[in-house]
Amino acid sequence: MNLDFFLYLVINTIVVITVSPLFVSLIKKVKAWTQGRQGPSIFQTYFTLVKLLKKEVIYSPNSSRIMRVTPLVTMASILVAALFVPLVFVPETVGGIGNIILFLYLLALARFFMALAGLDAGSSFGGMGSSREMSISSIIEPTTIIVFAALAFVFKTLNIFDMFAISVSTGSPSPSTLILIAISLFIIIVVETSRIPVDNPETHLELTMIHEGMILEQSGRNLALMELSAAVKMTVLMALLINLIVPFGLISALTLAGILIAVFLFVVKGSILAGIIGLFESSMAKKRFFQLPSLFAMAFFFSTLIIIIEVFS
Amino acid sequence: MIEQATIEGIIRILFVCIIITAAYIISTRNLLSVVSVYSLQSLTLIGIALALWSLEGSIVLLEIAVVTFVSKVIIIPYFIATIQEKIRIKRDIEFHFLSPTTSLILSMALMLVIYMALGRIIPGRDSLFFFGAVLGISLMLMGMMVTFSRKRTITKVLGFLSMENGVLLFGMFVTELPFIIEFLIIIDLIILVILTTILSVGIDSTLEDYHKRLHRFHLLDEPEEVP
Repeated sequence: MNLDFFLYLVINTIVVITVSPLFVSLIKKVKAWTQGRQGPSIFQTYFTLVKLLKKEVIYSPNSSRIMRVTPLVTMASILVAALFVPLVFVPETVGGIGNIILFLYLLALARFFMALAGLDAGSSFGGMGSSREMSISSIIEPTTIIVFAALAFVFKTLNIFDMFAISVSTGSPSPSTLILIAISLFIIIVVETSRIPVDNPETHLELTMIHEGMILEQSGRNLALMELSAAVKMTVLMALLINLIVPFGLISALTLAGILIAVFLFVVKGSILAGIIGLFESSMAKKRFFQLPSLFAMAFFFSTLIIIIEVFS
Repeated sequence: MIEQATIEGIIRILFVCIIITAAYIISTRNLLSVVSVYSLQSLTLIGIALALWSLEGSIVLLEIAVVTFVSKVIIIPYFIATIQEKIRIKRDIEFHFLSPTTSLILSMALMLVIYMALGRIIPGRDSLFFFGAVLGISLMLMGMMVTFSRKRTITKVLGFLSMENGVLLFGMFVTELPFIIEFLIIIDLIILVILTTILSVGIDSTLEDYHKRLHRFHLLDEPEEVP
């Protein structure tokens, strides 16, 4: 491992952990504005995380070790997945880092443990959330694979680092393909991060909970880790969309000034995308559970179309 | 003067917009959105006609753009919006035979079949004319799917209108329909929408329910059949 790659690991992890709560807050702020409210401060998620980190962890008497290790496993797998998506700096890839298939498996590992923890506490809400999450996963995962397969077809590589390098150096693929990729990835962000119209992250109603149901039994620093891992996951998927569609600002040579400018540009682009997600959520109601496949089908349709065009033309 | 490559790039982006609007018309349940997206689809067709005109300089394309704008972006959506206001229905949530998801997957398969079939007939798979032809026929079939998979008559009409957009797209790229035929098709469409307005008594019902409606509003003299 060279020094550049080691610095990449450090910088990418620090940036992703630092900016993720900001994007979560921004989405909440935009949603509040569209509802005519002032909304919480854009630093509220940071305050909440710090508060939770100071609080005591309470475990249900029915819970096993799964409950104890899940926050750590989830956070670790999401952080490793975050290393697969360069946010500001694209180094030479080392080992299997950046492999799209491994990236998807890391996301699946986090989801698997989260669902186990939902069942582990023995609460009916957690079980229901886990059951719903797994039902949705079984439909969305083929779609996610197809979307990433379309990316692989377009960029002719399975490595996210190479995709970004192609985007930065030789320019992105044709705008028509990019539009279809962007829509598909946007749907994946909405579904994977459990946002409206798939799930409502701001409610704890029995009828609507999916992600919140699974983490209902978590408390203290464990809850902070779960919340932070969800925020990091959203940032990573957002970064994938942003850096493929608008690679402007990504650097391939490591300099202090370059890193600072790249971080600034990433925050600006991420804030715009967070605003778009907030507006999208505000303009829609939560879909009924059995209507969700039509949303996934849209991403599936566009991605398959890309593959058809790439294969046959 | 804009370069040919730029115009071709713009046309390809407009093709993608056509696909997105077609997919949206198939899957959405909100009627107001369907009408807005239909207008947007027609507007995209106008964009394609104008881009083609700047490539080829054919005056027929300009005439088609003007007629399409007046009829499909202004008159027809206005009529349908008026009907919707009168009948006060906002959603079409019932489907015949195919759900939106199945329709989308089926249209993907149809596009692939058309792509393969036309690849044997039209030379040059990368050319704009080939993509225009594939998209035109696909749009026709997707419109047809909307027509037979939706239960509400008003959405069936929108499916038919979307089909006609497919005919227009195919005509622009492959057959070069004479302007008079395109004009007659548009007159047909306007008459269809006017008929829809006249029949608005039952338009918020399904075709099966329409007969009962006529009885309810005393518009039919025959006695109602009691099952």
